Amino acid sequence: MRLLLVEDDRLLADGLARQLEKAGFSVDITSMVREAVVLGEQEDYRAVVLDLGLPDGSGLEVLKKWRANQINLPVLILTARGDWQDKVNGLKAGADDYLAKPFQTEELIARLNAIVRRSEGRVHSVVKAGRFELDENRQSLKLADGTEHTLTGTEFRLLRCLMSRPRHVFSKEQLMEQLYNLNDSPSENVIEAYIRRLRKLVGPDTIATRRGQGYLFNDTV
Amino acid sequence: MTLFKKPVSVKGTLLVLLLPAGIGLMVLAWLVHGLLLDRMAREFVESRLKDEVAFLEHQIRESGGRIDTLQTGDYFQEVFHHSFAIQSPFRTLISPESWTPLLMPLLESGPDGATQVDRRGSADSPSSILAYRASFRIGDTPIVVIVSEDLGALKRSQAELHAWTAIVSILLIVLLVAVIWLGITLSMRPVVTLKAALKRLQDGEISRIAVQAPEEFQPLVQQLNQLLDSLDQRLERSRDALANLSHSVKTPIAATRQILEDTSRPLDAPLRHEMAARLGDIDKQLEAEMRRSRFAGPQVGKSAYPVKQARDLLWMLGRLYPEKSFELSSELMEERRWPLEEHDLNEVLGNLLDNAGKWSEKTVELSLLEEDGRMIMRVEDDGPGVHSESVPSLGVRGLRLDEQTPGHGLGLAIVREITERYGGTLTFDTGARGGLRALIDIPWT
Repeated sequence: MRLLLVEDDRLLADGLARQLEKAGFSVDITSMVREAVVLGEQEDYRAVVLDLGLPDGSGLEVLKKWRANQINLPVLILTARGDWQDKVNGLKAGADDYLAKPFQTEELIARLNAIVRRSEGRVHSVVKAGRFELDENRQSLKLADGTEHTLTGTEFRLLRCLMSRPRHVFSKEQLMEQLYNLNDSPSENVIEAYIRRLRKLVGPDTIATRRGQGYLFNDTV
Repeated sequence: MTLFKKPVSVKGTLLVLLLPAGIGLMVLAWLVHGLLLDRMAREFVESRLKDEVAFLEHQIRESGGRIDTLQTGDYFQEVFHHSFAIQSPFRTLISPESWTPLLMPLLESGPDGATQVDRRGSADSPSSILAYRASFRIGDTPIVVIVSEDLGALKRSQAELHAWTAIVSILLIVLLVAVIWLGITLSMRPVVTLKAALKRLQDGEISRIAVQAPEEFQPLVQQLNQLLDSLDQRLERSRDALANLSHSVKTPIAATRQILEDTSRPLDAPLRHEMAARLGDIDKQLEAEMRRSRFAGPQVGKSAYPVKQARDLLWMLGRLYPEKSFELSSELMEERRWPLEEHDLNEVLGNLLDNAGKWSEKTVELSLLEEDGRMIMRVEDDGPGVHSESVPSLGVRGLRLDEQTPGHGLGLAIVREITERYGGTLTFDTGARGGLRALIDIPWT
């Protein structure tokens, strides 16, 4: 299994490469942003371990370039900064997992195997309806102007349900099946609250209400 | 404010604004006074002249149109103080004689009523007069009567009055300036004391501003003192943190270095393990202190978007735990702001959600709500929960890291500290599905 390790601390990179090779990976090491971008595009890796603080730039740039060029290999980010916002930014840029330094090699290998497994058989699956694109892997909504919105679990499932059959009326009961919550008897108000929130994202007319019947996704708006 | 580009001082601005306005208004009042004075005097004179003409006419009618029989001379002058002219076909009477060139043309022809006559006259006749002319007939005799007054004299006395008004106005302006100056100086006095207090603060003579500031400056003083308080607190905290850190970090470093320097000692497995454990300790301490020192606490001018931040965090945890569902339940608008520092809110929500994510079976739910001016965040999972006897020790500060329940470790302690910094509370209980439910309740400040 070929793996790209982007890390500028030579001691850490060498040590890590030895351990990863013991675990069955064949490792290429680079410490430069430019080289990493090219390697990721030309070679066929199964996974990438990406350090964020590189001498000639940020690892996030590498990641964004890859994702912009439809290179969807699983990426695990390594960084010394363990801030929540950093994690959010890393995942928004397209990372699959995140590990703060220092870490135990066993944990890194376990996480790497997990993201590799998850990415297996993963296809670029997108639900398109009208001006909107729903990315199933990233659980996010892309608007026509390229902005991406993160969705929570239920928001995503509701939207996927509605967008899978545009202009088809879904009853509240049908939509309720998409709902996971800890309340034993979810009320219809919950669905209404979710619809209100989704309308804020896609616009008020895109999700239309059919009084007494339910909701439909209008892809012609 | 295009007239003055940048006011140098409040005092200057007030003076620049009030002085011209005061002077302008005074000048206007003076001009209006002049106009009114002019008009009133003229009307008064006119009505008197008219009365006198009527009296003369009456006299002439009494005497049957014979002017000769009129008691002229001193009598009229005494009664009227005015000059007059009477003309009948037989006789023309003008008093005093020197006014003849002025009154003669008017006697011969002219409109009835008040007229102003101007002429460069001789030394003993005035150059400008106001005359009232009346023509009537007694039997068949046409008679013209004119009574007139020297306008020059009137104008002179008017001008004198007007000049006095000007002098009084100027005096009033000077008084006004003095009053304005006094007012500004008096009302600016607290600022001066404030300035002095700030100077003393800068020099380190005082540590807080204790000035009886006027109402308008009270919030300013309060904010300044609050800022100073939080600066002091921060300094104290970072000193404490650094002291703790160096204490707990230097010893393991010394031990590890000792082992590495000793070339004769073989690095066997137990020793490697020991060294790794020491490094692990350093990392834990570093992490704990860093996260403690990162949070800000309540701060002026800081606010966060709870729904937006919660959505991002839920999404991120959903990516990290793809088999679990992270849900948001909130009626708050996306644009709603809470007066919490953004990083602090992230730390609170992130730690609670991450913790719940670790323990949950399938679902984690975050509720954000506002209740009577309180911000409430509730995180509930469907995991195994925590035994009721160990709930009180969750996230309690002072417990050493290694003594804290695994998985509910540092993160919850940080959450508790941040919550308390905002004057809120963190409580735990058992949720509807038996999982742990964390409740944060922060009063709106």
